[in-house]
Amino acid sequence: MNDKQMTRRRFIVAALTLSTVATNVPGLSWLRASAAWAQAADDAPGPTMSGLVRALFPHAGMPDSTYSEVTGSVLAALASNPDTDGLAATAERALDARRGKPWVDLDEAEQVAVIGEIQGEAFFAAILGTVRGTFYNHPLVWEHIDYPGSSKEHGGYRTRGFDDIDWLGGDA
Amino acid sequence: MAKRYELNDSSVVVVIGSGAGGGTVANELAQKGIDVVCLEAGSRMTLADVVNHPPTMDARMGWHDRRIGPMVWTCKTVGGTTMRWSGITPRIQEHEFRALSTYGQLDKGTTLIDWPLTLEELLPYYDRAEDKMGVSGTHDIPPSAETNNYKVLKAGGKRIGYKEITSARTAINPVARAGRPGCQQIGFCNSGCAIGAKWSTLYTEVPAAELTGHFELRPEAMALRINHDKSGRVTGVIYTDANGAMQEQKARAVCVAGNVVETARILLNSESALFPDGLANSTGNVGKHYMRHTFAQAMAVMPKPVNYHRGTRQSGIILDEQYHKPERGFAGGYIIQTLSLDPWNVSAWAGGWGMSNTAFTDNYTRIAGIFITGEDPPEAGNRISLHSSERDENGLPVPVIEYRDHPNTLAMREHSLKMSRAIYESLGATEFTGSDIPVGAHNMGGARMSADPDAGVTNRWGQTHDIPNLFVSDGSVFSTSAAANPTLTIVALAIRQADHIAERMQAKTL
Repeated sequence: MNDKQMTRRRFIVAALTLSTVATNVPGLSWLRASAAWAQAADDAPGPTMSGLVRALFPHAGMPDSTYSEVTGSVLAALASNPDTDGLAATAERALDARRGKPWVDLDEAEQVAVIGEIQGEAFFAAILGTVRGTFYNHPLVWEHIDYPGSSKEHGGYRTRGFDDIDWLGGDA
Repeated sequence: MAKRYELNDSSVVVVIGSGAGGGTVANELAQKGIDVVCLEAGSRMTLADVVNHPPTMDARMGWHDRRIGPMVWTCKTVGGTTMRWSGITPRIQEHEFRALSTYGQLDKGTTLIDWPLTLEELLPYYDRAEDKMGVSGTHDIPPSAETNNYKVLKAGGKRIGYKEITSARTAINPVARAGRPGCQQIGFCNSGCAIGAKWSTLYTEVPAAELTGHFELRPEAMALRINHDKSGRVTGVIYTDANGAMQEQKARAVCVAGNVVETARILLNSESALFPDGLANSTGNVGKHYMRHTFAQAMAVMPKPVNYHRGTRQSGIILDEQYHKPERGFAGGYIIQTLSLDPWNVSAWAGGWGMSNTAFTDNYTRIAGIFITGEDPPEAGNRISLHSSERDENGLPVPVIEYRDHPNTLAMREHSLKMSRAIYESLGATEFTGSDIPVGAHNMGGARMSADPDAGVTNRWGQTHDIPNLFVSDGSVFSTSAAANPTLTIVALAIRQADHIAERMQAKTL
C-alpha cells in the first residue's frame, strides 16, 4: 500500500466514526459508512467518475490527483450504502449513452451539457449528494479552499484573526 | 449533592427534558427546595466530548428518531438544544404579545391570538433570564466582540441606512463570568461550545440543581407517556431507562419540555379512556398552531477576505426590520443576524452543481452570511400529530409534522432577502444567493397559552387548562412566534413558571 492509499485509508477510518448521522438530511447518506469503504477505496477510480466529480464541483487549479483521491472516497461511499451501491456504474452508462462516444472524450462544454441532460434522472440526486458530502468534507479540498477545519486545538481565533478585516474603511 | 429518588416517590415534580425550558424550570424548582426528577432522553456529554466537526456532533447530540414531514433540528442530549443554539437573545416586543390586536387575523387560515400576558409582566423574568444566561450588553456584561462577518453586516447595514445595529444580546460570555470562561472565538457554536462560554443547561442549570440536593437527572430516560388517576390528575411518567427497561416515576406534578414535537408526542401518546384524544387536548389544540419562524439565509462573495469561519457564528444583529410596518407588504417583522457555514453546507445551500455552485465554495474565504428570523403566523393546519400505524425506533407512533409557509411568511422572506442583497451589494459583493431554510430549529406552539381555554392548551403560567398538575415548560406554550429567537423567552417563562408552581405548592393548591 503506497502513501496515498494510506492517506485515503486514514480518511476512511475517520469517516467511519460518523456512522449514525441523520438520514433525513440531504446529502448525509455518504456518512452511513461500512467496512466496504476500505475495500472499494483501494481500487483506483476510472476517468469517467473522476471527470464527473470535477465537472460537478470544478475548482480552478485543483490538481487531478485531488479529484482522483476524492473520487476514490466517493466510490467507496456509494458502494457502502445499499441505496447507492451500483449508482456509479449507472451514472457512467448514462453519461456514455448520450453522444455516441465515451463521455470522457467530449469537450468540457459538451460534458456539462450531458450532465444537464441526465440531472433529472432518479439516480442523479443521490450521486450529487454523495459527491458533495464526500468532496467538501475531504481534507485535500479544505486545504485547496483555505478552510482549516477544527480550531479548538489551536485555541480558537481570539488571537488569530477573528476580527482582522481591514478593507471596510470608515464603515467598520 | 445529586440525589436519588425512589420510583414510587410521588412527592417529586417530574420534568421531561433538560434543555432551555426543562433544565431551567428544574433548577429553579430545586433552588426553592422542591424535589425534582428530570428525565432526559439523551446522554450526558462533557465538554471533552465536543469536537469541531458538525457531522460528528450531530450524530452525538441530534434527535434522529424517525419523524415524518419537514425536518426539525432538535437535540437528544443533556442540555437539549441549548447545546446547539447560536446564543442570540433578543426580547419579544410589546406589540408582539398582542399579535391579534396589532395585526388582525391575516386571513381565514391564520389563528392568531394575543398572549395571555404582557411584556410588562415578563420584564422581571427577562431580567433574571439575562442575568442567568449572561447576555452580552446586559448586567454590566460588555457587548460581544465583533467578528469579521458581523463587521461586514454592520458596515453594509449602515450603508443602506439601518440604525439599530448592535453587538449585544448574545448569551456567549465576552469575558469570564459565573464560572464560565470568555469566548475564545473557536467557532462551531452550533455543534456545542467546546469551552462552555455559550450558555447551555448542560453545565449551568443541571449541575447547579444537583448542588441543591433536591434534584436527580436521569439521562437516557425516554419519556413515553404520562399516567393519570380517575380524577384526571397526572400521577407519573412512564419511560424507558438507560438499560431499555420500562419504568414509572410517580409524580406530584409534571412539566413537559420536549421541544414542541416531542412535547406534543408525549401528550398525544398519553390517551386514555378519560382522555381519548390525549392529555390536555379536550379542545383539540394539542400539536396545533405549530410555528417555526420565517427563516432565510443569504450568502455573498465579498471583494476581499472575510474568513467568516473564524469566531462565533453570532456576534451581533440588526433590529431595524423587527417592527410591524404593514407598508412592507406583510405583518410582523424580522431580525437580521449572522450566519457562517462549513464548506459542505455552503455548497449544499448554494444548491445545484457546476460553476454556479463553486462560485461560492471556490471563494470560501470571501463569503459573508446572513440568517433571518422573523414572525410566522399560527395556522391550525400547521401541526404535530401522531401517525395512525407507523412506529418509530421506540415503538411509538411516529410524529407527523405538517408545516407550510403562509403567504405572509413568503412576503417577509422575499423582503428580507432583498434587504440582505442590498447590504452586501453596498459593499461590492460579486455573488449573492438567498433562500429558505426548510428546517424547524425554532419550534413554537402546539400547547399554546391562551386566555380562552377553547383557543389553546395552557394558561398564562403554562399550566394546562384541563389538568391542574400538568405543565408545559418549553416553546410549545408560545401563543404566537414573534420575531425574536425563542430561547430567552423560553427561559424567562420557565423561571416564572417555577415561581408560580412554588407559590401554588406553598398555598397547598397544587
